[in-house]
Amino acid sequence: MKQSISQIKKSLTDKKIGVAELYSEYANKAKANLNNSYNYVIDDDENKLFIEQSQQRYTSGDNLPLDGIPLGIKDLFCTKGIKTSASSKILSNFIPQYESFVTKELLNSGSIFIGKNNCDEFAMGSSNETSHFGPVINPWRSKTSPDDDLVPGGSSGGSAAAVAEGSCVASMGTDTGGSIRQPASLCGIVGLKPTFGSCSRWGIVAFASSLDQAGPLANCVEDAGHILNAINKHDFNDTTSSNHKREDYVSEIHEKMEGKIKIGIPSDYLIDVNQDILNQIENTKKVLSKHEIEFVDVKFTTTDFALSTYYIIAPAEASSNLARYDGIRFGVREDGESLDDIYLNSRTQGFGDEVTRRILIGTYVLSAGYYDAYYRQAQKVRRLIKDDFQRVFNEVDFILTPTTPNEAFKIGDKLDPISMYKNDIYTVPTSLAGLPGISIPSGLSSNGLPLGIQLIGNYFKEKQLLQLAALAEKELAFNE
Amino acid sequence: MSDIDIKRISYLAKLKLPSEKETFYANSLKDIIKWVDNLKEIDTSDVKPLHNVTESTESIRKDEIKKDNSVDDVLNNAPERANNFFKVPKVVE
Amino acid sequence: MNNKWEMVIGLEVHAQLKTSSKLFSSSPNRFGSEPNENVNFIDSGMPGMLPVLNYGCIEKAIKTGFALNFTINKYSVFERKNYFYPDLPQGYQISQFEFPILTEGFINIDADEKQKKIRIERAHLEQDAGKSIHDIDQKYSFIDLNRVGTPLLEIVSYPDLSSADEVVNYMSSLRQILMYIDVCDGNMQEGSLRADVNLSVRKPGEDLGTRCEIKNLNSFKFIRQAIEYEFQRQIEILENGGTIEQNTMLFDTSSGETRAMRSKEFSHDYRYFPDPDLLPVNITQEQIDQIKPTLEELPHEKLERYINELKIEKNISKIIISEKDNTKVFEKMISETDVSPKVIASWLVGDIFAYVKENNFEVLDLLDRTKLIMDLLKLVSEDVISNKAGKEILPKVLSGEGNPNELVKEMGLEQVSDTSELEKIIDEALVGEDENIAKFQGGSDRVLGYFVGKCLKASKGKGNPKLINKILIEKLQK
Repeated sequence: MKQSISQIKKSLTDKKIGVAELYSEYANKAKANLNNSYNYVIDDDENKLFIEQSQQRYTSGDNLPLDGIPLGIKDLFCTKGIKTSASSKILSNFIPQYESFVTKELLNSGSIFIGKNNCDEFAMGSSNETSHFGPVINPWRSKTSPDDDLVPGGSSGGSAAAVAEGSCVASMGTDTGGSIRQPASLCGIVGLKPTFGSCSRWGIVAFASSLDQAGPLANCVEDAGHILNAINKHDFNDTTSSNHKREDYVSEIHEKMEGKIKIGIPSDYLIDVNQDILNQIENTKKVLSKHEIEFVDVKFTTTDFALSTYYIIAPAEASSNLARYDGIRFGVREDGESLDDIYLNSRTQGFGDEVTRRILIGTYVLSAGYYDAYYRQAQKVRRLIKDDFQRVFNEVDFILTPTTPNEAFKIGDKLDPISMYKNDIYTVPTSLAGLPGISIPSGLSSNGLPLGIQLIGNYFKEKQLLQLAALAEKELAFNE
Repeated sequence: MSDIDIKRISYLAKLKLPSEKETFYANSLKDIIKWVDNLKEIDTSDVKPLHNVTESTESIRKDEIKKDNSVDDVLNNAPERANNFFKVPKVVE
Repeated sequence: MNNKWEMVIGLEVHAQLKTSSKLFSSSPNRFGSEPNENVNFIDSGMPGMLPVLNYGCIEKAIKTGFALNFTINKYSVFERKNYFYPDLPQGYQISQFEFPILTEGFINIDADEKQKKIRIERAHLEQDAGKSIHDIDQKYSFIDLNRVGTPLLEIVSYPDLSSADEVVNYMSSLRQILMYIDVCDGNMQEGSLRADVNLSVRKPGEDLGTRCEIKNLNSFKFIRQAIEYEFQRQIEILENGGTIEQNTMLFDTSSGETRAMRSKEFSHDYRYFPDPDLLPVNITQEQIDQIKPTLEELPHEKLERYINELKIEKNISKIIISEKDNTKVFEKMISETDVSPKVIASWLVGDIFAYVKENNFEVLDLLDRTKLIMDLLKLVSEDVISNKAGKEILPKVLSGEGNPNELVKEMGLEQVSDTSELEKIIDEALVGEDENIAKFQGGSDRVLGYFVGKCLKASKGKGNPKLINKILIEKLQK
């Protein structure tokens, strides 16, 4: 059984293990997974000072909240002096001169970075198959076809696999349409996407600016809460950073929730869903019902339009965000006779197929003659989706849905883009509305593969959401 | 629906698709655009577009200079530089 | 020939705002620095960087709104204008498109002895781009991003301008106003103010023709040349039965010709959309109300005040108004003395400006000398010294060689105003002048001048000419 952050900290405080020893355990596992769940494992030497300082703090008794905790960092966060590639060829030589806000907060909390986790290229994908450094293999194997290499989900596939295989205690990921929650579900771990605007996007390689959010992938809900405490802060340098009041997300996480809780289950999410998935919902209902929690049926009117809305807005923003990758000021430059050639060659050769595809979609939906019918229409429908959720939240406190429509599938199985995009069907609506969502492992499929359920809360209700998720986690007892 | 002008789209995106891949991408785009076309069914005539989920911001700066990086920080990642300039093949207007 | 055709011109003026830092980053907003010295990671478009709005730019825009009679829009949106160019690191320029901060303004310009109203469609905030240097090497270009992100206010007129003169008048009025309200430093050589000219031609009464855009003109001389050339070029095409292709043109300053920019494979499509890294700008009435009282007096307001209240002659007023620096010096001078503004204005525009020009000073260099200059003018106005003597002393006061009172003594230039002394001189001068005296009594005024001159000579120029005049007349009339 994997140790939680609290348990590890206790071991460190009680001197049952030292920071260096703990670090080595994880670092060795990480090195064995280089080119799988890691694009880059940080040199022991580079971490030497951090480890020493952390140990000193434990010795003197004033350790920081995440002191000595080995973390993986999705290779989308700019980490100063450490390679940051976004799993793309075009950034394969990039070493940022600045630290992202979120990773700076993690360092300030005393955590130690094991390495940069593999991910889909520029966070575009749901299976971690688009990475320039190769696909990530899910540590789980199917009972019925144990020889198959399975996807871990994406885009934070490397992060999820790393946590699941035990090469880091937790990993920092990003979620744009489901990129934390979906891989968490396929790898049997916890993944949290906070409310949009909670955690600063400064220094995160931008994919879709109005959707990207940083969030933890972890072994348990409480660990996700610890990480959230460290990173959920207002950042003046991110104009979209919210100035709502932050709370302690862990202090009351195991307390009984106040009042009667109502959870909505959207019946429109459960049409055409296989029995394994339905079982997850039924089971969760069963175990939570004993806790004064009422389940009601709710209906969205916009579910059918969420994927279309997302696959217009996200590529549109991405097509513009990725315009800065041109081989002129940083990154890999391909040769060319003229400047135009350098642009064309660097970009064409530097981006993979999926990224190219999304840039083309994005360019198309923003172009003259199509902007109104596609991009503008999508933004209007987005408002409808947001309003739809608010209407539902007038009736209920939380929403329960499956996280993914299927278990982990075989690498190479879903070659058609649209079938890949449909993996996001349950996570995309939450992203469009900017609401917080957490996936916790709820059970195994008939093939013995993990499945997750998603709990969605209203804006900035992470404290209560984590309380509920911790309760469900305890009752579902997945890890036992 | 009309054919996708893949040459024009890739020109705007500064991509030079190899000719054998042009059809591949054009078809891919066509499928996806057809898939997302269901949005046209919805009447949004009274609906304002949603620019951003965040509703208000404190991020408005006073007009003050603040710079903590050096020239080298900015040029350090450049594939080609000449003194303190970025160097590129000559541009003709 | 040309009187068959008329030109229709709209002007897009780009004014760099006089703020300390850039529009979306806190890098210095300055000219003339070493390459890439004023660039941070946001400016150079590094991964993960985000823009943060500089409120100072909003204030400058609001002030401009008042000065140019605009509607100030309380809601405006920043949008991305997407295109690729080496001096545009992000691959897009943050600008305003559908919801600009200012709309529907106007100014009045002088046109043929009358005033003509030039309507201005909109003004919006946007980032400036960097600079590429193309002409120092055969094979390479060099990119300096210092200017990336500098705040610009783009002011777009309606096509109300009908001649090169009107265009120059309009642009120089805009320049003057923006300098007056401290929004732009107006330095066209440094690129603080640039214009794109949109020109089409038509026969009077016809619909608008196809226009061509001539980009990046940064002097009045070039604007004039470009307009005249382009006007002829379009007329020639039309008179030969051709049609005008809508083109973006550059003006070749050495040949004086416009030429189309290299034609691109496909036309531009900027794919504007609201920047998702920013929120819409919401300005409150309180913010607008706070800014209004800080607005400086505008050129036309000053002109009226100088003419109507200070009673300064129109042409002299115009000269002073032409540069805000002049008015700073002038108004300081007025505040330091009770000598009449009319007199001060006349000296300023005459001898003082001449000195400044000859000695390569700046007008503002006068600011620390105004009290001394006023002391000098007071001596003249009180007849302590003559006007002529004043002009002699002035250069020394301006060059800081001493204060007027000391200089008068040193140079021995006090006027003789002692009546008895003057009477002596006059009496002597009148000796043996019976013929001329008779002429004066017969009605000749010229003789008076002769006598005054004679007395002045006898007094070695120190006699107070007014007094001499007065006493002479008294004596001669007897």
